Amino acid sequence: MPLEPFKQSQRLTMGVELELQLVSLSDYDLTGASPDLLHLLERKPFPGHVTPEITESMIEINSDVHTKHNELVAQLQLTRDTLVQAADTLNIGICGGGTHPFQKWRERRIFSKPRFKEVSALYGYLAKQFTIFGQHVHIGCGNGDDALFLLHSLSRYVPHFIALSASSPYVQGADTLFNSARLNSVFAFPMSGRAPFLLSWDEFEHSYFSKMEHTGVIKSMKDFYWDIRPKPEYGTIELRVCDTPLTVERAAALACYLQALCAYLLDRREAPPVEDDYLVYNYNRFQACRFGLDGTVVHPKTYESLSLREDILTTLRRMDQYAENLGGSAALNHLVQVTHTGSDAHYLRDQFNASGSVEGVVDAALSRFRGSIM
Amino acid sequence: MPDILIISSELAWPLAVLLAWLAGEFVHRWTGVPRISVYGLAGFLGAQALPDLFATDSGTPVTMLANVAFGLILFEFGYRVNLRWLRVNPWIAISGLVESCATFGVVYFISHLQGMPPLTALLLASLAMSSSPAGVLRVINEERSSGQVTERVLHLVAMNSVLAVFVFKVIVGFWVFQTSGSLTQAASHSLIELVASALLGAIFGMLVPAVLRGLGTLARDGTVAFALVVMLLVSITHAADLSPVLATLTFGLTARHRRVSFARTQRNFGAIGEVLTVLLFVFAVSTLDWDRVLSGAALGLILLAARFVVKTAAVAVFAHVGGISWRKGALIGVAMSPMSVFVILLLEQTKYMGIVLVDELSALAAMTLFMEVIGPIITQRALIWARETAKEED
Repeated sequence: MPLEPFKQSQRLTMGVELELQLVSLSDYDLTGASPDLLHLLERKPFPGHVTPEITESMIEINSDVHTKHNELVAQLQLTRDTLVQAADTLNIGICGGGTHPFQKWRERRIFSKPRFKEVSALYGYLAKQFTIFGQHVHIGCGNGDDALFLLHSLSRYVPHFIALSASSPYVQGADTLFNSARLNSVFAFPMSGRAPFLLSWDEFEHSYFSKMEHTGVIKSMKDFYWDIRPKPEYGTIELRVCDTPLTVERAAALACYLQALCAYLLDRREAPPVEDDYLVYNYNRFQACRFGLDGTVVHPKTYESLSLREDILTTLRRMDQYAENLGGSAALNHLVQVTHTGSDAHYLRDQFNASGSVEGVVDAALSRFRGSIM
Repeated sequence: MPDILIISSELAWPLAVLLAWLAGEFVHRWTGVPRISVYGLAGFLGAQALPDLFATDSGTPVTMLANVAFGLILFEFGYRVNLRWLRVNPWIAISGLVESCATFGVVYFISHLQGMPPLTALLLASLAMSSSPAGVLRVINEERSSGQVTERVLHLVAMNSVLAVFVFKVIVGFWVFQTSGSLTQAASHSLIELVASALLGAIFGMLVPAVLRGLGTLARDGTVAFALVVMLLVSITHAADLSPVLATLTFGLTARHRRVSFARTQRNFGAIGEVLTVLLFVFAVSTLDWDRVLSGAALGLILLAARFVVKTAAVAVFAHVGGISWRKGALIGVAMSPMSVFVILLLEQTKYMGIVLVDELSALAAMTLFMEVIGPIITQRALIWARETAKEED
């Protein structure tokens, strides 16, 4: 199947996808509840969309396309409230977080849908270990060239999103010492990592995608698990490195930060991206996953070592004007707070220390996701 | 020469349990039939073949162990019941009440038509209300199922078991009042006993988590503490003629709501829990007598069929308003078929009071035997049809 043409979409529009955990309220383990939850949700009008994910203990919600922070956050909150109410009716817990702190991947059940069964057969335990929960943010692009320009320009900022969203310190019952351990599961896939350094859509289509397709390794864009990938059928680029935050408010703030960054980058005030930017890419990404906001990254142009927290704060300040124009100032303020109070990973570790168990961590995540609904 | 009969009688139980376990493993592997069905069958065959060796009086270590095994299962059962859910989604509780009452009514009506004395019919009807918590929980854990059928079966069975104990005790109290004319004696055999049992469980349910929290121990130690307290509760209720069912169930329920986490590896209370379960199911059926089963078979089967239909229909009616599909609603009712152990242990208790009902209720013997073996298979099928089991279909 040849690559479809890059659909033109309105610049700087945004959409959010969140993968959420379904847990049993008896033992706090993941529970295969998505068929029941989806059945119930079909019966009521639902803001946005909800779809099954590869294992039955996971669902994905999508927002509509938005341009403003307040609209996005309002829709996500409404979606959250609907979900929480439905989950209450069915005695299911629902929460964010990039990993479930102690689920055993061996016990997951694959949702019965042909594509999921195929993936499971191909990847073996990787498919079940892929029971991880991410936030994807789409940003609308005017054309394919802009999309690739943004994709590569953003590579320098990928660690920001990892550190700000990090919410997966625990895996299989143990503290990994990572802030985002989830991304380690993504890196295991052969088609993960970064997109090839091409800045023209035409070139991407003809000298990369068609060749890859010819090799038989991939069939569509869906087979790439890149950190940022173009989505030609939507006319967007999709940032995929974020853990699902513990609250929808943070998810909305992250999306608006990305929107402001894209607006800034499209002004082309920074030196254009070059292949050599990627020399430090994997190292920086590791620093963000491992140490979160306390990480140290290397600037791809100057090779200067920077505190990730400082770098984020500097960038947030630089985005002020852009965010104000787009109506996203509240979002950036929210993220400034995060750099002070710590990420969700930090919060979860605190909860572990307070309750003494990984079950206590899940319990805290559940009540954090509910927000104000008691 | 040592008396071969004495030795064999001492050996009978451990051997029977071992053989039942072996048979359970083999049959489960070959046919996928739940292990507990096989344990029950093995116990029944053993007891019929060698009745003298398996004779048990209350108070023997085997009876005690069976009671502890049942207590552990009930604790885990109570621990999985979420009272907040019953408040948020009242349809669950309503369907539980309707299902239990309808079963009671229908079973009483049929027994009455069959010419059973009213008291016997009432007691039979109250016992038929309950599903087997042990059977249901074992199948759920064996299949590692999760979903609405699983969750709701757990909650509904907890409800109908409590209701059954309650109604049963009230009827016994009524009977005591009729025969003795003493209101105090009647009350002490019913209401006071119920309240005291529940209170006992609740107090321990608050104490144990508080102590565990004070100790700062990890979840793993929690399991040991809970198991030991269940044993203590069973002994206390046994000595004080209280209801172990109610006490252990409320213990689990309170402990859950005063939450100390209970890690997944401790389901069934680990390997020792498994051992006790084999013993429990072998024991429960070994108390039944083949002749009695035969004489009660006809009525027993009619009652079972009626109970099955009533439970399925009563739960299914509330499925849609309760937020699930009609299909799952019906499957919940189907999964609630097993009855057993519970009923027998309840009757065992009344023996002390001079009510020897086991002998009159031959229909009950037939029902229990049948449901001990077939019930778990029905529950298992319902869970598989609901696609809630962990095994992947091809």
